[in-house]
Amino acid sequence: MDNELLEKGHRFPPVSIVLDEAGVSQYLEAVEDAALPALCRDEGRAWAPPMAVAALALRGLMEAMGLPPGAVHGSQEFEFRRPVAVGERLASRAWVAHRSQRSGWLALAVEMEATDEAGEAVLAGRASVLIPQ
Amino acid sequence: MRPAKSTRETWTVGRDLPSLSKALTQEKIDAYARASGDFNPIHVDPAFAAGTFFGGTIAHGMLLLAYLSEMLTEAFGGAWLSGGRLKARFKGVARPGDTLTVRGRVERMQDEGRRLFATVECVNQAGDVLVAGDAEVRLDG
Repeated sequence: MDNELLEKGHRFPPVSIVLDEAGVSQYLEAVEDAALPALCRDEGRAWAPPMAVAALALRGLMEAMGLPPGAVHGSQEFEFRRPVAVGERLASRAWVAHRSQRSGWLALAVEMEATDEAGEAVLAGRASVLIPQ
Repeated sequence: MRPAKSTRETWTVGRDLPSLSKALTQEKIDAYARASGDFNPIHVDPAFAAGTFFGGTIAHGMLLLAYLSEMLTEAFGGAWLSGGRLKARFKGVARPGDTLTVRGRVERMQDEGRRLFATVECVNQAGDVLVAGDAEVRLDG
């Protein structure tokens, strides 16, 4: 883990994310989600699971942060601005919004935003992460 | 039963959201790791996890949020995907062998019922709250 990457205000490089049909199927099977496929059948659309989009955005962020084993996810906020279609290409950006130390843990708050190819935000979020020191 | 279109008339303050239960196994945690790409050993390596503060593997927090999202999709349909908000605090850990229940309740409605606020949570078989959160959706109709 590079501590310089985790200073308040640091902006991580954008990460490209796309959820294709196979990835969505794998995700829905893993989380046993029956509600989204039913909604998609009702609406005649192919939406990506909102938490799958969020998970991919988070994965890119966690990889960029280089978190050590034992890091813990403390809290999470998401706002889903609009549905994301299967196969849609997004860019996820994240930055360190807060950093503090307490009781042997480094506490970070990281804010993120995923945008579509037109630059419109489809997802916004804030994650708090505790890292053992 | 998910309404075809979630409207203001569908919901009232105090009404429960449709709860869901999931039996958690290490296989399901492993499947989530493959689907999400999060292979943190605290989730997927029992030998590593045994030596940590947790004493064994734990589920990804995002897996528990996926269960909450399924409930919110069931309850609110497209309104959850378009304008839904969730603020969740991880208060405990889910372990293989746990039976998890996600549930929620409408707490208040604003703007003539167009904005709905609900509390949501994920509990284990002992009733321990593992995730506590607040959700907001904007309703049509």
